[in-house]
Amino acid sequence: MPLTLAIHPITEIRFAERFLLDGTVVFVDIDELRRLVVEDSAIASVDFQIARPGESCRAGPVFDIVEPRAKSPGGSPDWPGILGAPETAGHGTTHILEGAAVTVLREQSPGESRGATGYVLEMSGEAAAGSRYAKLQHLIVIIRTRDDLAMHARQKAYRLAQMKVAVRLARAAMDAAPEKTQVFDIAGGEDRSALPRVAYVGQIFSRQRKPEPEEQIIYGADTDGMVPTLLHPNEWLDGAVVTSYHTSIGGAETYFYQNNPVVAELYRRHQAREINFVGTVATIASADNCDRERNCHYAANLVKWALRADAAVLTKFGGGVPHTDLSETARLLECSGIKTAVQVTDLARDHRVESALLFNFPEVDAIVCIGGNSTHWQLPAVQRVIAANCGLAELLAGPFEIEAHNVIGVGNQQGASRLRSMVY
Amino acid sequence: MRIVHYLNQFFGGLGGEEKAGMALEACAEAVGPGKLLEQLLDAEARVVLTLVCGDNYAVENQELMIESALEKVREANAELLVAGPCFLAGRYGMAAGSLCAAVQAKIGIPVITGMARENPGADLYRESLFIIDSGDSAAKMREVLTKMARLAEKLIRNEPIGSPKEEDYIPRGLIRDEFVEKTAAERLVDMVLAKAKGKAFESEMSPTTFRPVSMPPGVSDLRKAKLMLITDGGLVPKGNPDKIQGSAATRWGAYSIKSCDDLKGEDYEISHGGYDAQYVRQDPDRLVPLDVMRELEQEGVIGELCDEFISTSGLANPLSNTRRMGREMAEKAKRLGIDAIILTST
Repeated sequence: MPLTLAIHPITEIRFAERFLLDGTVVFVDIDELRRLVVEDSAIASVDFQIARPGESCRAGPVFDIVEPRAKSPGGSPDWPGILGAPETAGHGTTHILEGAAVTVLREQSPGESRGATGYVLEMSGEAAAGSRYAKLQHLIVIIRTRDDLAMHARQKAYRLAQMKVAVRLARAAMDAAPEKTQVFDIAGGEDRSALPRVAYVGQIFSRQRKPEPEEQIIYGADTDGMVPTLLHPNEWLDGAVVTSYHTSIGGAETYFYQNNPVVAELYRRHQAREINFVGTVATIASADNCDRERNCHYAANLVKWALRADAAVLTKFGGGVPHTDLSETARLLECSGIKTAVQVTDLARDHRVESALLFNFPEVDAIVCIGGNSTHWQLPAVQRVIAANCGLAELLAGPFEIEAHNVIGVGNQQGASRLRSMVY
Repeated sequence: MRIVHYLNQFFGGLGGEEKAGMALEACAEAVGPGKLLEQLLDAEARVVLTLVCGDNYAVENQELMIESALEKVREANAELLVAGPCFLAGRYGMAAGSLCAAVQAKIGIPVITGMARENPGADLYRESLFIIDSGDSAAKMREVLTKMARLAEKLIRNEPIGSPKEEDYIPRGLIRDEFVEKTAAERLVDMVLAKAKGKAFESEMSPTTFRPVSMPPGVSDLRKAKLMLITDGGLVPKGNPDKIQGSAATRWGAYSIKSCDDLKGEDYEISHGGYDAQYVRQDPDRLVPLDVMRELEQEGVIGELCDEFISTSGLANPLSNTRRMGREMAEKAKRLGIDAIILTST
């Protein structure tokens, strides 16, 4: 199932009368985008702003970030299950505006464990240095939903608008020749029998919460009742999975499903003929022990019997509880002779090693740990704050102190983080 | 640089075990290992004061010794406190560790000491101090003092301190953040490939083993037992009177359920950001099962239900918090004569 990425590097987004890709500048027709967004009766109005790398600019709270991509006719649909039929994603040609992002803001602070600011997009300064998002040209979408809507209906409207805007933007590149193309395929002619067979097991949701009504996570489905399922690596990259409305510690954004760092790294090693990348499993973290036992066994069995892997890497989603599903799956794999490495977030608010993990299996001894608990920044006042209303703009104006986990991209749980826990 | 150096009676050259009872004495110059220390630091470094104390005196009169030493360190305008190295000497290690910890906390200047990993002082103070791993042999004095001097210089200049392996200090069991070149995904794949090939790899976190908690004896007669309900699901009366934090809570509360048979959603709220609380908000008995406990009480299955329940929030809570809160709750339960507790979690 080959997927061709047609890459169009973007260095600037500009508002204009019509859509056009001119070299590395994408011109955006705001009026058309506005018409497209307010088609949805849930949305009262929408504004757009542009945020550039290095600008004294801050936006938040961020709902999600997505890379503008559009499918050429003949391949899989754009965002199957959300914009199109839930057919298999990951084949045909996808045009990408590399270096650009469509970033949707929330109208309310998400509150709960993530604090009043929610996830903040920081475009300059020390905090921005730790996030890949600060290097992108952002088209910020500020949506105002109708007053009478429930939270889940607002969030569904954000998601739909986000996808429509991102696809429309990328269609500007559809007729242009890409600067380069990349082909992703795990099936190939070469003999890989001597190479280690490596699989990826990625959590896409944590049942610490029920999905919101009509939430769309995998092919438009909300994961309720989901058991671990095989995905071709290309499905991650090409729209099968979007992030949940509630992501917890460090975050997970749709952008890093499209640019899944684990899938990308495994593909790189596959193409370098170091490994045989045999496939992936999408799974969930459970809410109770029965659910956990069942899911962990299912996931481990898929890796063992369907993918026949020698080794697997595992990532988690959400908060602390998913540590248990992650480690139990890894333990079951190790018991079958499959070597594992797992990626976790540091849970030690007291900075003590003893509080960092929620598991202790001797077999699960290869652990990548994303830090964040001892990194805070004093964010300065910025020249421009982009937020959905005055109250939020005031909250984000600065100066204020922020935890690393609340700067979007810094503590990312999908493998993009460069923040590491060091034990001393 | 003005240095104060702490030694025991033996390394201070005042005698062996027969002098272990001597009180703190001060000398306005480098003594014994302090002379070597001066050579190992830069030309400006001077041991302006050497404090010598008997091993027994120091542990038996720890507060007194520290109080007096703190005063002398302050008077000396010290910029660095060096203690030991103590090698395997247990009382010496305890004294050096407690003095370093006190100076660090109360005066705020850099402190450095050295001990063997097996020294009881290392166990007590490794978390709060940089303790150079001295091994057990005093023959390594020069080597150990060199490492202490290098680390002290970094502390004074506020330079980043390397890993325990790089600097040879006893691992403190703490975590700090660092930005690294490789993404987590790259590190993850590196690690699994090394492991699959049987090569060495370095895990970024190590699991901790905990002492098993032994099972208490069963309740001999439930019909006479007094039971209590405790939850970490964050159920608190409306308004959260004890201001229990929804994440990494440092507080807990006890709430009256006297002459109440059923918890009502409108009287309570949830302070816990880690689970979907809508079902508890609808009916708090789903978390704190007061309704069924009252039935069991009436049926005589249990003797009595305590007229308070205890609640805190169990989200992202470090063990240092939960241990303390657990102890406090256990004390309260003991005081109230509770025979058994039902602990409900989320």
